Amino acid sequence: MLTIKDLHARVEEKTIIKGLNLEIKPGEVHAIMGPNGAGKSTLGYVLSGRDGYEVEQGEVNFNGANLLDMEVEERAQAGLFLAFQYPVEIPGVSNMEFMKESVNAMRKARGEDELSSAEFLKMAKEACKQVNLPLDFLKRGVNEGFSGGEKKRNEIMQLIMLKPKLAILDESDSGLDVDALQVVANGVNSQRDGERSFIVVTHYQRLLDFIEPDYVHILAQGKIVKSGGPELAKEVEASGYAWLGQADEGEKA
Amino acid sequence: MSQWLAHVIERAAAVDDWLSPVRAEALAKLKEQSWPGRRTEAWRYTSLHAVEDLSLPTESNAQAEAPAIKGLDAIDLVFVDGRLTSDLAALNLPEGLTIRSLTDKSDIAEQVFTQVKPSHHLFGLVNDVLATQGIVIEVAANATIERPIRVVNFATDNVESHTRVLVSLGDNAKATVIEHGSGTGHSLNTAFAEYDIADNARLEHYRFALHQGEAIHVGGSHFKLANKSRLNSTLIGYGSQLTRLDVDIIHAGEHAHAKFNNAYLLAPKEHFDLHSTIEHAMPNGTTEENARGIIGDKAKAVFNGRIHIHRDAQKTLAELNNRNLLLSRGAQINTKPELEIYADDVQCAHGATVAEIDEEALYYLLTRGIDKQKALVMLNFGFVQEMVFDMPNEALAEWLQPILKQRFEDMMERS
Repeated sequence: MLTIKDLHARVEEKTIIKGLNLEIKPGEVHAIMGPNGAGKSTLGYVLSGRDGYEVEQGEVNFNGANLLDMEVEERAQAGLFLAFQYPVEIPGVSNMEFMKESVNAMRKARGEDELSSAEFLKMAKEACKQVNLPLDFLKRGVNEGFSGGEKKRNEIMQLIMLKPKLAILDESDSGLDVDALQVVANGVNSQRDGERSFIVVTHYQRLLDFIEPDYVHILAQGKIVKSGGPELAKEVEASGYAWLGQADEGEKA
Repeated sequence: MSQWLAHVIERAAAVDDWLSPVRAEALAKLKEQSWPGRRTEAWRYTSLHAVEDLSLPTESNAQAEAPAIKGLDAIDLVFVDGRLTSDLAALNLPEGLTIRSLTDKSDIAEQVFTQVKPSHHLFGLVNDVLATQGIVIEVAANATIERPIRVVNFATDNVESHTRVLVSLGDNAKATVIEHGSGTGHSLNTAFAEYDIADNARLEHYRFALHQGEAIHVGGSHFKLANKSRLNSTLIGYGSQLTRLDVDIIHAGEHAHAKFNNAYLLAPKEHFDLHSTIEHAMPNGTTEENARGIIGDKAKAVFNGRIHIHRDAQKTLAELNNRNLLLSRGAQINTKPELEIYADDVQCAHGATVAEIDEEALYYLLTRGIDKQKALVMLNFGFVQEMVFDMPNEALAEWLQPILKQRFEDMMERS
């Protein structure tokens, strides 16, 4: 599904990712944990192709294609999805038109017919229900005036509707209470079908109680310094990141 | 002096109705006015060349029906080329609402006519002396009128017309008034409306100036806000050969709140000029004005946003922002913020920009697989659409959204 080899990437003048390797097979869930400033969010932005995030070295292969050669929208159309930690508000664009455009772009890329308005609405209603968002939110501007939790649930709703091959969840647990966390986790788990893969980026072990990973990686100073099974997350829970022997710097979004 | 204005003055002398004494005062002021040229500040970027020697018939026999808007159950009052074609006696009005013709003498008309609109608007004075047809809307104190009142104003072809709307909201009254104007033929229409809003009253207001093509439309909506009254107004404009609108919002009482959203979308060669003036004469008032423009091809927009905070208007909170998007090299915007503040304890913000795309929003749309071209269209239109989403009346928003979207898409195609 995804193979990252010796990836080095920088934001402006600062190199954040420094030789990262990762192999993800279909259906696998990989958790990436690490202290603030380790480069967790940066990895998501680099993989999605955000402007200003420059790859200095390395390769990323996504289902046989060179991901780094692709535009942002091409990566998305190829099945890469990033759930944002801080989704942007776009007041003049309604969730409805945004999601319809997006769902149809993906369907087109997969060689499927575009959905009619009625078909889309039916699908959107079901997805709304699944993540516990009121229906009238479809009429509102994208993320406009949403609480932090609503924004996160909206990201998961998009995940459900867009049906990506690989979803990167960037701290989808931050700022959520246990109930909201459960909704997010249920939404994600409903999409685990043995084919779709996930990268779950999180600072805390808490989310991994709800979304059980196959592998856990510890990211520190731009590299994966330790990999293991779900038990590794428990170790982190118990001992924190102090054993990495580095300061817990603030992370840039 | 323009030939047209000379004729206006001649014609005004022949107008004889119960408002003649007030009209005479307006006529005296009109006679003092000189014809605006490039050096006239209020008309600096808008040429009146098309009006200067205009000579059009002042009557027509045209008929027209008010355009239906799905989900809008409005009390419709229709003007066609300045003639009131609605039968007022046949209206089934709710309690607390009285609608009269301007031709009938009434205390309300007397109290409002020329009393809200500032007298410096040249075409306002023309309307004062020539608009014999008009509507007088009276909402009694404590009355809440649920059905919107819509004044439809058609200008057809080869005709000059003048219409007037006078509205009085009593204490604690609540109402929605829609000024719905349109026309595509070669016509001149002046349409001025005055709103006298008493203590604690609430007015929801819309003005749709959907004139296009050869139409010349000059008008204004003017509001006087008493203590604790609230105004929520949305103005949507196209451009035409010449569209010029003046909006005055006067905080004449304390603790009044005004929200004024406006958006204009100008297609090829159209001209649209909006002058808004917010007068904070009394303390503790708040105003929020959002102006958004999309200008395509060789169209030209003028936006002049003035906020005047008088010496006694302490604790005023006033914000105005104007954002414009130019779709082509030939498109033009002249935007001018004017702030005059004479009180020292106020908060005031004023910004005018030619819009740039929000990179973060664009990135977000791209990560959802939307093509860049389509994403740009969504964001560009989005910033005008925001004004539509903000309209409290859902039926109006749902009617307008696809119309504006289509217009925008046509503009994109041509630019």
